[in-house]
Amino acid sequence: MKNISARPLVWFIFSAFFLLCSTPTQSTESGVGLLLGEAIPPGFDPETGKRIIPNQRCMKCHGDENEKTDTRDDGSIVDIYVEPHKLKDSVHGKQDCTNCHVTVTRVPHREAPEVVVGCVECHRQTWLDHKDDPDGKHERLGVVIEQIDSFMTSVHARPNTRDQSSTNATCYDCHDAHNIGSLGSHQRAEHRLENPEVCGACHRKQLSEYRESDHGKAVLEKGDSESAVCSDCHTTHDIDSPEGGSVMLTITENCGSCHEDAQKSYRSSYHGQVNKLGYTHSAKCFDCHGGHKVRSVDDPTSTIHLDNRLETCNKCHEDAPEGFLGFHAHGHGNDFEKYPGIWIVTKFMQLLIIGVLGFFWVHVILWFYREYQDRKAGKSFAHPHPGEDTVYVRRFTATWRWIHLLFAVSTMILVLSGTTLLFSHTAWAGIVMTMLGGPEVEAILHRTAATIWIGVFLVHFIIAMSNIVRNRDTFRWFGPSSMVPNMQDLQDVGAMFSWFFGRRERPNFDRFTYWQKFDYWAPFWGAAVIGFSGIMLFAPKLTAAFLPGWVFNIATIVHAEEALLATMFLFTVHFFNSHFRPDRFPMSTIMFTGAVPLEEFKFEHRLEYERLKASGELEKCLIKPPSEAMEKGSRALSVVLILAGLGLLTLVFIGYLTMPS
Amino acid sequence: MRRKTVFAILSLLVLMPVITQAAGPTAAALAFTCAGCHGTDGSSVGPSSPSIAQMDPEVFIDAMQAYKADKSNSTIMNRIAKGYSDEQIKGMAWFFAKQKLRLQPQQHDPQLARLGAELHDKYCEKCHEDGGRPGDAGTLAGQWMPYLEYAMADYIAGKRPYPRKMQRKVDAAIKDQGDKATSALIHYYGSQH
Ligand code: HEC
Ligand code: HEC
Repeated sequence: MKNISARPLVWFIFSAFFLLCSTPTQSTESGVGLLLGEAIPPGFDPETGKRIIPNQRCMKCHGDENEKTDTRDDGSIVDIYVEPHKLKDSVHGKQDCTNCHVTVTRVPHREAPEVVVGCVECHRQTWLDHKDDPDGKHERLGVVIEQIDSFMTSVHARPNTRDQSSTNATCYDCHDAHNIGSLGSHQRAEHRLENPEVCGACHRKQLSEYRESDHGKAVLEKGDSESAVCSDCHTTHDIDSPEGGSVMLTITENCGSCHEDAQKSYRSSYHGQVNKLGYTHSAKCFDCHGGHKVRSVDDPTSTIHLDNRLETCNKCHEDAPEGFLGFHAHGHGNDFEKYPGIWIVTKFMQLLIIGVLGFFWVHVILWFYREYQDRKAGKSFAHPHPGEDTVYVRRFTATWRWIHLLFAVSTMILVLSGTTLLFSHTAWAGIVMTMLGGPEVEAILHRTAATIWIGVFLVHFIIAMSNIVRNRDTFRWFGPSSMVPNMQDLQDVGAMFSWFFGRRERPNFDRFTYWQKFDYWAPFWGAAVIGFSGIMLFAPKLTAAFLPGWVFNIATIVHAEEALLATMFLFTVHFFNSHFRPDRFPMSTIMFTGAVPLEEFKFEHRLEYERLKASGELEKCLIKPPSEAMEKGSRALSVVLILAGLGLLTLVFIGYLTMPS
Repeated sequence: MRRKTVFAILSLLVLMPVITQAAGPTAAALAFTCAGCHGTDGSSVGPSSPSIAQMDPEVFIDAMQAYKADKSNSTIMNRIAKGYSDEQIKGMAWFFAKQKLRLQPQQHDPQLARLGAELHDKYCEKCHEDGGRPGDAGTLAGQWMPYLEYAMADYIAGKRPYPRKMQRKVDAAIKDQGDKATSALIHYYGSQH
C-alpha cells in the first residue's frame, strides 16, 4: 500500500514546486505583462514595451553646436544639428522627438535611421481628437489641416517623374519641423525670409532669377520681409505648375495683394478684364514684368524699361509698332499729376453721364407724375379696343422700322458682350462669358454687331441724305419734318416743364418732339465716339502706327463710358418716353407696325395733325389698322426687346454699383 | 488503487497549467545561475567577468545573442548563451536591468585616468553618457578593467564587431593620444566606483 501511493505523492510535490517556481508570462489588461516573473524595467514604456528616449538624449548629439554634422556610413556628410532653443520655442517643442521620428527605437542608432516622418497622419489625428475641445487650443490646427488638403492635391504631393517612389516634395522639405513658430513668432518671420532659399533648393533656376529681381534683392539682401517671397505669389501649399490656367490666375490675383493699385488699373484694362473672367490668353502681370525677374521700370535690364518694352509687347503683339510704347498699361483716371489726359477725359465722360441722365431722369419722374394725374382726370386719348375699326396714321415706313429693329438688336448684343468685359468683376459676367463661348467668341460677336450697327447707321445716313436731296426744293432744315433741332424745341422743353408743374396744359407737338430728336441725335455722337474708339481698339497695331499709345487709354475709357451712358439712357429714358409713361404703358408698337391710331396721333402730334389736315395731306396718311398678325407680332417683338433691355439694364446696374472704386 | 488514481488526477490537475503554458523557471531563478561568475545580482567581484547588474536590457540581449551566434569573441559566454531561449534571455535582461550595480574600487593610475576622462569626453561621451555609467550603450564606468582590456583589444583586433560608428571615435582617440589612449580610457573607467 505504502509503495503504491509513494510515487504519485512525489509527483505531486515535484509538480507543485515546479508550479511555484515557474510563473509564465502573464499579460495584464493593457500593455506589456510580466515576462518569466519579471516586470518590464524602468526606461521602457509599460504600455507598448518600447524604449523611452528622452529628448535630452537625442540632443546630446543633435544639439551639440560644436559638432553639427556627422558622417554617414557611406562616408557622406549629414547635417544633424537641431538648435535647442529653436526647438524649445517651436510649436513642437513639447513633443518627444520619437513622436515624429518613429523609426528611431534605439540610441545610439544601431542602424542608420530612416528619416521618415508622417506629419499628415499625426496632424489629422490630433485634429480629429481635439477639434471640438472647448479650450480652443487646437484651433490653429484647422488651418494646418486645410493646408494639408491643399498640399495633397498639389504638384508637390504627386509622384516624382524621375523616381515614382517618392513625391516631388514633402512637408519637411520646406518646413524645418524643429523650428515651426506659432502665429506672430520670430520663427515665422525667419521662415518667411528663408522661403526663397527653401524653394530654391529644388527650383534653382527660379531662385537665381529671383535673386536678381527687386523682390529678391529686398528679401535676400536687405532682409525686407514686406517684399514678395515665393509663397506670396505661388501660394504656400496649393502649388501647381504655372503652365496651368488656374495657377496663372491665382498668381496674377496674388500680385494684387501687395500691388493693389496696379491690379485695379490692370483690371480696368482689356488685359485684366479677360484675366478676371478666368481666361489666360491676355497679358498677365508676369508676362510683362517678367515673373521671377521682376524689376522696376527704371532698371535698364527690366522687361518693362522703355528700351526693352517693345520687345515685351512683341511677345503677344507681333510686330507691334513704336506707338505701343506710349500706352499706359496701368493708366487710370484718378491721378491728374500722372495721367492728366486720362483724368480729363474720365471727368468729362463722368460729367456727361451725370448731366444727361440727371436731366432726363428728372424729366422722366416729373412727366410720369403729371401724365398720371392727367390720365386720371381723363385728359388723354383712349386706346382703341382690339377689333375696333379704328383709323390709323402711317408714321414710319418699313425702311425706318427695319433700321430701328436692326439697330436695337445690334445695340443689345454690343451691350451684352461689352459689359461682360467691363464688369468682369461680377459673377454674372463669368457666366455670360462662358455662355458666349469665351473672350475670343465674344470679340467676334461684339465686332460683328458693331459692323451691323455702323452699317445700319451709314445706310440710314445715306437714305436720309438722299431724301433731303430729292426733296431739296421743299425740304426745310428747320421745318417740322426735319430732325434738326430748332428754337421751337427749346420752347417745347420749357412748355413741358411748365406742364409738369401744372402751370399750363400739355403742350402740343409737331412731327418730332425734342426728346425724339434727342433719341435720334444721341447715336450720332455715340457712333462717332464709340465707333472711333472701338475701331482703334479693334486694330491696335494700325492705330499705333499713326497715333501715340495713350490713345488706347483714352479710347478704352471713352468707349466704355459712352456705351454705359447709351445703355442707361436707352433702357430707362427712351423706354419710359416710348413705352412706360402712363399713356403708353406697358408698351408702344408704333415703331414696329409703323402705324399710330388717329386718336393717339391727334393727341401726341396735334400740330402735325392740324398742319396735315389744313393742307389736305392727312387723307393721304390715313391707313387701315395693322393686320392682326402684324399687331401680335409687333407686340411679341416689343415684349422681347423690352425685357431684354431691362435685363441688360439690371446687369449694368449690378456691374456699375459693385464696381471696385 | 483508488488513492493511486486520486493522486494521479491531482498531480495532473496541478501540472495542467504548467504543461499547457509550457513555461520554465522564472527569470530571477535563471539569473541565479550566472551569479557564480557575474556576482550576486550581476555585480561581479571581477576581474574578467564583467558586471552585468543595471545593464541596459537591450544591450544585454544584443550581447547574449551575439554570443549565441558566435559573433562575439568570448571565452565562455558563447557556450553559456546557447543554453537559453530568446524569451529567457529577455527575461534575464529585464531582471539584471533592475539590479543595482555595486562597484568596487580598482587599482588605477590617476594621471592616466585624467587623460582618459578627457578622451572619453571628446570621443565616447555622446554614446556612453555620464562618463560611461550604465546606459543605452552598455556599462563602462566602474567596469572591471581587465574585462575592458579584453573588450577593447577584441574591438581593435577585429574579433568583436564594432558598434555602429564607434570605430571612428576609437581610432580618433588613438590617433589623438597613441597607444596610451585605450589604457587611459580604461583607467578612467576603472577610476569610477
Ligand atoms: C563561467 C563563468 C560565467 C558564467 C556562469 C556566466 N558568465 Fe557571462 N560572462 C563571463 C565572461 C568571462 C564574460 C566575458 C566574455 C567572455 O569572455 O565570454 C561574460 C560576459 C557576459 C555578458 C556580456 C557583458 C557585457 O558587458 O558585454 C553578459 C550579458 C553575460 N555574460 C551574461 C551572463 C548570463 C546571463 C549568465 C547566466 C545565464 C552568465 N553570463 C553566466 C562569464 C560567465
Ligand atoms: C557611436 C556611439 C559610440 C561611441 C562614440 C563609442 N561607443 Fe563604445 N559602444 C557603443 C555601443 C552601442 C556599445 C554597446 C555594445 C554593442 O551594442 O555592441 C558600445 C560598447 C563599448 C564597449 C564594450 C562594453 C562591454 O560591456 O562589452 C567598450 C569597451 C566601448 N564601447 C568603449 C568605447 C570607447 C572607449 C569609446 C570612445 C573612444 C566608445 N566606446 C565610443 C557605442 C559607442
